Amino acid sequence: MIRCEEILREISSYLDEEITSEMRVQIESHLCACRHCEVLVNTTKKTLTLVSDNSFLELPQGVSERLLDRLAKRHDSSR
Amino acid sequence: MTHDGKGAADNPTDEQLVHRVQEGDHEAFTPLVQRHQRSAYWMIESILHNQADSEEVLQETFLKALQHIGSFRGEARFATWLIRIAINEARMRQRKYRPGLYESLDEEPPGDGEFRPRELSDWRPNPEQNWAREEIAALLRRAIQSLAPIYREVFLLRDVEHQSTEETAAALGITVPAAKTRLLRARLMVREFLAPHFKMDGHQRAETPVQPGRSVL
Repeated sequence: MIRCEEILREISSYLDEEITSEMRVQIESHLCACRHCEVLVNTTKKTLTLVSDNSFLELPQGVSERLLDRLAKRHDSSR
Repeated sequence: MTHDGKGAADNPTDEQLVHRVQEGDHEAFTPLVQRHQRSAYWMIESILHNQADSEEVLQETFLKALQHIGSFRGEARFATWLIRIAINEARMRQRKYRPGLYESLDEEPPGDGEFRPRELSDWRPNPEQNWAREEIAALLRRAIQSLAPIYREVFLLRDVEHQSTEETAAALGITVPAAKTRLLRARLMVREFLAPHFKMDGHQRAETPVQPGRSVL
């Protein structure tokens, strides 16, 4: 059976589904037997779910308006 | 954020809009700005940590993109091309005003070996439901801000903006294996930052007991 250190190294590739099916089986077999690694994988997955809704990084107020304004002025002055 | 629309007239792809700008239709640049300003801003802010400077560099980024759009040939996606400009502009600003900090931008922070997670308590199911939306947003921002720049950049591009690992590596000018190594560490560090806020209370612990002396993880 693969060791906890290998789970730690492969966790990203596992979550991104960028591993061989053989490695996947080995990892999932380890996760069934190791509570620590199961928690680590599940909470890392949850972390990615939380940040994937990227609305938590909205633009500060007014930034978009001032950006479009500056681009419009630049365009006008280059005509 | 990807915009791989099917080319409908009311929802043109980035590449179709770029083509229109290249043909002289400057109005077509506005939707490109609206689509990509947020990711460009936060990438810049992750380097400069200052709203006023970041806003100025954001403007410089889009001005430069517009100025050089004729040279965009579509080898990379527009989003990747633009982020590369944003990163370069932000780093130039960093070098100009805070040269002492520049050295650390591309380097591993000192004392970095393999990252070992310490918070291994399980989380509550749907922990975010106990938080107000703005509180969660602020917590996630703090988690990302806590990362060293080389990890923050890769995390923002890959996991927040959903670029591929290859696009992330290309935008940052690093190899794909380096991007993967940094991404792994970034993900584990963000998880570690969030864990104390989301873990179960004592009476809520998962039913499966952890065996004593188990795993060093």
